[in-house]
Amino acid sequence: MATNDKLLQVLNLSKHYNKGAIKALDDVSVDIHAGEVVVVIGPSGSGKSTLLRSLNLMETPTDGSIFFHDIDITKKSFTDEAGKKHKVNINLHRQKMGMVFQHFNLFPHKTILENMILAPVKVLKMPKEQAKEKAMVLLTRVGLADRADAYPIQLSGGQKQRIAIVRALMMEPEVMLFDEPTSALDPEMVGEVLEVMKELAHAGMTMVVVTHEMGFAREVGDRVLFMDEGKILEQGTPEEIFGSPTHPRLQDFLSKVL
Amino acid sequence: MNNFITANGFEKTFRYIKLIEQGIFTTVMLAVFTVVIGFILGILLAVMRMTDIRPLRFLAYGRNGRIRNNPVLIAISKFNPVSFLATAYVEILRSTPVLVQILIIYHGVFGKLIELPSFTLFGYLKSNRFIPGVVALGMNSGAYLCEIIRSGIQSIDGGQNEAARSLGMTKTQTLVHIILPQAIKNILPAIANEFVVIIKESSITYTIGVQDLMFAVTAVQGANYIVMEPLLVATAVYFCLCFPTSKIIAYFERRMSRGDKR
Repeated sequence: MATNDKLLQVLNLSKHYNKGAIKALDDVSVDIHAGEVVVVIGPSGSGKSTLLRSLNLMETPTDGSIFFHDIDITKKSFTDEAGKKHKVNINLHRQKMGMVFQHFNLFPHKTILENMILAPVKVLKMPKEQAKEKAMVLLTRVGLADRADAYPIQLSGGQKQRIAIVRALMMEPEVMLFDEPTSALDPEMVGEVLEVMKELAHAGMTMVVVTHEMGFAREVGDRVLFMDEGKILEQGTPEEIFGSPTHPRLQDFLSKVL
Repeated sequence: MNNFITANGFEKTFRYIKLIEQGIFTTVMLAVFTVVIGFILGILLAVMRMTDIRPLRFLAYGRNGRIRNNPVLIAISKFNPVSFLATAYVEILRSTPVLVQILIIYHGVFGKLIELPSFTLFGYLKSNRFIPGVVALGMNSGAYLCEIIRSGIQSIDGGQNEAARSLGMTKTQTLVHIILPQAIKNILPAIANEFVVIIKESSITYTIGVQDLMFAVTAVQGANYIVMEPLLVATAVYFCLCFPTSKIIAYFERRMSRGDKR
């Protein structure tokens, strides 16, 4: 992983509630490089989900910048190399950032196949037949091709989350954001979802993963961020974080979860 | 009063079958136009109530770009004129009798302010009475449908909106493809109820001389000195209009909940 290919650059990001009384994010800066798997860990309420959800502006930050391909997506407009001013269209940037939610958020009134082809057909104007073919290829990859015409309610949690992942992949994103993807799953279904994510990481996808699965962080993560009280307290390779944690808060956290 | 309902009375009533048929047709046309106007108005009002237009937003921020501490300025900055207009409309229409509204529309708006072209639809729907009736009923049911639609949209889990937006869909695409289909499914029972209410409430337009079913009933009563028989016929007709309507919507409700069952 090179250091100059910053895909996402977060600069001094803050998110305050109640006029600054509560700081969900407190002056956070971090770079995400292309091809990197960044795992964010930390206790509940530490701001890790807020950070992830800010990356595609699901949350509006109070202060700071987020650069995606060197464009500050928190601002209303940007100036290109030629000095021309453009409006920032967040929908365009979101197309390139896939997101997977804790509660799957599949569209219950549409079949699995319809769930997958909706955005490519409506947003990217992909021909329906082509989108269907593409969806079937992805469904085969996650072993759910036979459920294409089922409705989400007919699937198990693990299956729903695998569908949610491939639905995001249909848009061919440059980065995938995972917001506690296995937290709402029965323990026996966690493995199948992590397996898909591992495969994705090995295929070179840039990923930001908020999770409580320390095993996943250790095995798949290129870099681990530890957050608490809206700040990144420590970051490093999984070996550094889990092998020789320096911050007392991290040592305390790891002693409780490992 | 031993023969207050007689076969003879029904026989007399059915001599006016042509008038009753016209009345039924008028009632159906009133209901159809009212539903269309009410539904469009309802969606429009619901969207207006949920907009986030705050032209005075700048008042909340000081020169340094930080939020001020002045509670009065902050309250003013949250003022949304579009939502305010829609809310005021809904509350006024819901808090006054539909009879008053119809008379105001008929005598006030179309009697003095707007000149209606006088023509006859389908041979007997007189435009200068039918149009005010439809407009008044449509405006009234629009207020109720707005609240039904709004509650339906707000009942949809926020994750649905987030999932659609995270895929790059616009606000409008999300509303049309994700939110509204689910919202309408959830509110179909309430909409069915409103449609049935519209069919029944359309009878009130006979007060401004629309020749609907109730108008026919009064005409038959007056011409023959019979009371109950025309009313019973009207009862049967209204039931035959309303009952299938709610059944048809219940059928769509079952069809649309395909994704709900295993």
